[in-house]
Amino acid sequence: METYLLLAIAILLPVLCAGLCSVIRGRTGRSIIVTAALLVMSVVAVLLVGRITAAGGKLALGLESPIDFNLIVEILDIALIVYIIYIGFSLKKMLISTLASIQLAIVLLFEIFGSVKEPEKVFMLDYLSLIMVLLVSIVGPLVAVFALGYMQEHEEHQHMKKSRQPRFFVIIFIFLGAMNGLVITNNLMWMGFFWEVTTVCSFLLISHDRTEEAVRNGIRALWINLVGGIAFVLGIVMIYSVSGTLAIDEIVSARPGAAFAGLLPIGLGMLCLAGFTKSAQFPFQSWLLGAMVAPTPVSGLLHSSTMVKAGVYLVVRFAPAFAGTILGTIVAVVGGFTFVVGSALAISQRNAKRVLAYSTIANLGLIICCAGIGTNIALGAAMLLIVFHAISKGLLFLCVGTIEHGIGSRDIEDMQGLMKKMPFTTVITVIGMISMLLPPFGVLMTKWLAIEAAVHLPIVLVLIIIGSAFTVFFWAKWIGIILTMSYKTSMHVEKLKVSVKTALSVLTLFVLSASILIVPLFNTFVAPQLSMDALGDASSLTSGNGGIWLGNGNTLNMGGFASIGFFIVLFAIVLTIPIFIRRTKPEKIKPPYMGGENVNDDIRGIEFTGPGDKVESVIVHNYYFKNLLGEERLTLVVNLIAGAIIMIMFGVVI
Amino acid sequence: MKYLPEIIIALITIIAAPIIGGLLTGLDRKLTARMQNRIGPPLLQPFYDFFKLLGKEKITLNQTQMVYVLCYLLFAIMALIMLVFKQDLLMLVFILTFSNLSLVVGATSVRSPFSKIGAQREIIQMVAYEPVILMMTVGIYLTTKSFMIESIFQHDQPMIANLPLVFLAFVFVLTIKLKKSPFDFSTSHHGHQELVKGITTEFSGLQLALIEMTDWYDLVLLLGMISLFFAKPLWVGILIALASYFLEIVIDNISARVTWRWMLKIVWLFGIGAALTNIIWLYARR
Repeated sequence: METYLLLAIAILLPVLCAGLCSVIRGRTGRSIIVTAALLVMSVVAVLLVGRITAAGGKLALGLESPIDFNLIVEILDIALIVYIIYIGFSLKKMLISTLASIQLAIVLLFEIFGSVKEPEKVFMLDYLSLIMVLLVSIVGPLVAVFALGYMQEHEEHQHMKKSRQPRFFVIIFIFLGAMNGLVITNNLMWMGFFWEVTTVCSFLLISHDRTEEAVRNGIRALWINLVGGIAFVLGIVMIYSVSGTLAIDEIVSARPGAAFAGLLPIGLGMLCLAGFTKSAQFPFQSWLLGAMVAPTPVSGLLHSSTMVKAGVYLVVRFAPAFAGTILGTIVAVVGGFTFVVGSALAISQRNAKRVLAYSTIANLGLIICCAGIGTNIALGAAMLLIVFHAISKGLLFLCVGTIEHGIGSRDIEDMQGLMKKMPFTTVITVIGMISMLLPPFGVLMTKWLAIEAAVHLPIVLVLIIIGSAFTVFFWAKWIGIILTMSYKTSMHVEKLKVSVKTALSVLTLFVLSASILIVPLFNTFVAPQLSMDALGDASSLTSGNGGIWLGNGNTLNMGGFASIGFFIVLFAIVLTIPIFIRRTKPEKIKPPYMGGENVNDDIRGIEFTGPGDKVESVIVHNYYFKNLLGEERLTLVVNLIAGAIIMIMFGVVI
Repeated sequence: MKYLPEIIIALITIIAAPIIGGLLTGLDRKLTARMQNRIGPPLLQPFYDFFKLLGKEKITLNQTQMVYVLCYLLFAIMALIMLVFKQDLLMLVFILTFSNLSLVVGATSVRSPFSKIGAQREIIQMVAYEPVILMMTVGIYLTTKSFMIESIFQHDQPMIANLPLVFLAFVFVLTIKLKKSPFDFSTSHHGHQELVKGITTEFSGLQLALIEMTDWYDLVLLLGMISLFFAKPLWVGILIALASYFLEIVIDNISARVTWRWMLKIVWLFGIGAALTNIIWLYARR
């Protein structure tokens, strides 16, 4: 019974908080609600970990009560779609109303004429859902805590007369509740309902500022995700017509084998398509790029623990059902393609948020690619990357938001010398970026696993390798700019709101500990999940000697890396930083060489005296390759290619 | 002391590698001089330079430069140790990337335009050669069914038998890694270029000495990676590695620097092309 309570809290507590936020409109009250939600939700998530581990890794629960919850969810689902139709009419966007009507028609036909047998076990928790519950329940409320301080500044910047913060937090909490529901439920129809809730919430959040651009981008997010929603319900109908069940665990564990033909692969392909739209894979990436007009906490939420992760969760969840099939291979190609193109486009961007957005798209591509490869190593990598990416990217978005409020710009070129104005944020941002890029941090570990998992799929392999080289480029450029600094005798102390500082610090702690504790993380969540999935391929993923090791059925390891030793060296180096800072004396400082006499003996080296005693100022910009990798040049072409790959995906399974 | 032998081997590596690397660099300067009809410096000149740099006044542009240099050095050493202990080749490449990026960030951390542009070019170089090196690891996997360097020594054939084109591509990108002409535009090997000394312009004294030492470690590591292609028996591999190094010196002396656009085009077309061709035929043959 107690487990039911935990589940109920996970889903309904955020909804309750949403209600409270709409009633209690004062700032203090809201702070208390958000903080309490953070504490309770994290505790519940951690308690759930204990429950699942005690239950042997998988917990399927039915609901025995006189109330027909299925009916309630159905009614809510239909009400939600009707609400979307209403949004379409009120914004005079017939496209939205039409898409929602199509979805409504399919749902109604299916519910009325399908004589649907609802699964007995409504909830199913395994380690994959647990990872998601942890991310949603801990990172999500942390972003909300950050938003407490941020939104106040945001509204000051926007010169808003009447605060719209209550509305903002109401939506955020509903969003979190829906995410928890989405990953806990075992009923595909329920999942479809929560899926639509996240779509609507993201629309409301993106258009929160009510500027013309915000509304336009919100509408784009809505219609693209509605297309995904239609694919989702079509997938449900097709899968149900073949397997006769809506229980996710039964669909996943039914091994395709020889019977992988007919409507089942198309249905699974439809679910993947829904996943692609939600996790902004090419050609559906434009909604996520547009989403950054929203206040930063929204991006922090959309890009890290919610929304886009729902898409990859869906694909990873169903990956065992199509592991090793042609569908899986093409899903891997879709993901790999997005990884390359996302990384390439990120090189051409100067806008910090756009770089992060493209990086998110690329990493989600890598997760989907791993899910498509579908071996033990690949699925392990996918699960780990979900965790690492969510934490690091959540942190980075909040950092960019803080920087933007600090220097009034999100242009990367304006971040030179950030150390002078915002030392705390700079250090944290750099930790976030390094964790996305360099060994021995988690994201790189998963990239490494992905390459080693992809060796039997040459196209996918080449895509990951090229994409991996591109990622180095855009991160390195940015890190170089942000760390540019000249000598200062004392560091400026940065003033940040308590909630902002807390959220940033805690997330940084998570980033570091997740990477350092990769072995326990792997042992607790990934290894048991892999053994439950029982994929049946020869590759294996194990831990030992402070690292992760890969096998391919031979006696020898096929690869491995003891990351812990490298962390020790890294921290030894980090510990030397204060020594160097203290030992650096002002008289040892020299200005940079400029090819001329430096003006005023300025140690920063911003101006020098050039030929003819003319004072020249020095401006150095990064390379962006706009002509080669610019959006104007690439977007149309890559969208067409990505669309073609998806068509091929359906072409081969029909 | 269960790990005593390992610790001793690691220590020997850490001490011996820069000596070998320094000697090879001295040999390089000597040979280069002879090719240019000069007598050239004594063989031990790199070490004299090294110790002279150590004695220089310790000036710096900001407090953090030294940290980047240390990262550059230590991660290069770790990559070399991974090679000596026959660890995962793919991860070794990533660790080497870390080392390299650290120098790049160190060079961009100062406001000098020369070092900043040099660093940008270094990143472009990394983007150019990294796919080739990654494909080399994949080629080795396809031959030995493992990413562990150990498997190369257990394989009954030398790698070159299966990976001739990958080997050529690797030697090709070696010119970039060693920062030699025609691909020496991030830091000129011979100074006096349009970027002064490029990526290392603003490092001096102890910092520059450590950077030189890291380059020696890198040299040993890269030659070690070449010898992997012939690692049965190992001494053949070492001879071939030395021959490749000689080839690099010759190329260095007979070619002029190209622009980075050219390099990117050439390396992606021929380097990746050759490696990919080799890999595709390995797939097709399975």
